[in-house]
Amino acid sequence: MEEMVMTDAAFAADAAAADAAMQELRLPMVTMRGIQKSYGGKPVLKDINLRVFAGDVLAILGPSGSGKSTLLRCLCHLESIDDGYIGVLGQTYAGEDDIGGVSYVAGEAERQILGHMGMVFQQFNLFPHMTVFENLMLAPVHVKHIPRDEAEATAIAMLRKVGLEEHRDKYPGQLSGGQQQRVAIARALCMHPDIMLFDEPTSALDPELTGEVLRTMRQLADENMTMLVVTHEMPFAHDVANKIMFMADGVVVESGSPEEFFEHPQQERTKAFLQSRL
Amino acid sequence: MDHLMQMVLLMLEGTEVTLEIFVVTFILVLPLGLFAALGRLSSLRLLNRALELYIWIMRGTPLMLQLLFVYFALPMVGIKLPDIAAALLAFTLNYTAYFAEIFRAGIQAVPKGQYEAAHMLGLSKVQTMWRVVIPQMIRNVLPPMSNETINLVKDTSLIYILAMNDLLRVARTIVQREFDMTPFVVAAVFYLVMTAVLTWGFHRLEAHFGRYAM
Repeated sequence: MEEMVMTDAAFAADAAAADAAMQELRLPMVTMRGIQKSYGGKPVLKDINLRVFAGDVLAILGPSGSGKSTLLRCLCHLESIDDGYIGVLGQTYAGEDDIGGVSYVAGEAERQILGHMGMVFQQFNLFPHMTVFENLMLAPVHVKHIPRDEAEATAIAMLRKVGLEEHRDKYPGQLSGGQQQRVAIARALCMHPDIMLFDEPTSALDPELTGEVLRTMRQLADENMTMLVVTHEMPFAHDVANKIMFMADGVVVESGSPEEFFEHPQQERTKAFLQSRL
Repeated sequence: MDHLMQMVLLMLEGTEVTLEIFVVTFILVLPLGLFAALGRLSSLRLLNRALELYIWIMRGTPLMLQLLFVYFALPMVGIKLPDIAAALLAFTLNYTAYFAEIFRAGIQAVPKGQYEAAHMLGLSKVQTMWRVVIPQMIRNVLPPMSNETINLVKDTSLIYILAMNDLLRVARTIVQREFDMTPFVVAAVFYLVMTAVLTWGFHRLEAHFGRYAM
């Protein structure tokens, strides 16, 4: 028994040391290498590479059909890659398997890796039959088995963060789109993710409701959350992101800092895209 | 008046048989229909095909024929069931097919985004079905389920061919014996009361499960 405790303590120390080392070295939170994906023979992702470090806010821009949403969805296995490698916090999520194909890890290993990521969808995807509070409590209680009172405290804190405490007992259908999206952000945060993925989080919203969601996202970025954001919101990308990746036709056309990208775009394709967005 | 009273009492006994068939079938059909629906939606090809065939046969032949088959044909191959069991078997097999299709449509109407959100939150397949999909399915299936349930009440009258004394058979017996049409009217009233109770019940359920907007 004593040995077990020792071992656990040693493990914990190791983990803490690893955490510290990761901060030091800024090891990548997300690595995607040589990502290939096609739908029915039509390639949508052609050899995409990206790395995201702790605290990075990566804005993925591009015209519709460029593959940017697909890339994000492949990262969290809502779609599957055909070829390439995906690593999350140093662990392999998808890579070459024993039979020469490419597959994602499964079962508990997958759940553990997904636990590092929170996803915010264009259509919110809240559970309509549950109240706001039940939406926030479901996964912490039934997936992570966190004690109910602890999960409640987190849920309340997250609702406060997105400014919706007074709506906790409403159903999603009773809220505006902007409020629903903020609940969706809070729901993801209740799982304490290390990386937040946003798939066009404001595209389904009326223009006057995008501000409140973008403010919440900006706040998260200020708290050093690692974020991958597929978006059409240029000012947000310019002001909040520290890296921009511009995709078109399944390839990365250009990437760099917001200054480089917006002030000094190198590629014709980028210039044309930026022109069309003015 | 005494005569009418006696008639109503006899018909209440018939109603008991009707209700017995109805209640037992309904209770069996809910879980069986749900499992059949899940089987239809599963990726197991063989199970899928088998259920497709089953549903096709059950929906594609008259319930009366199925009743006769269970009652008269099965004994010929050595399967002799008590009357009530034979009736229950036929009704359950038939209605499971209909309910399976209702549940399948109800499950398919739940948007893909719900599964995606569940995936991202780490819910297992069983948790996703049980906590996310099925609760929303219930709301979707209540109106068609209400229809089929009312049909079931009325279809129980088919067991008169099996010489079981359900409500309709009792009514017919009295009519034939006394040349008085009143029992038919009474039977109609009894059926109407049963379906009215069901309609009311389903309205209550729809109100309960409709408390949230989709």
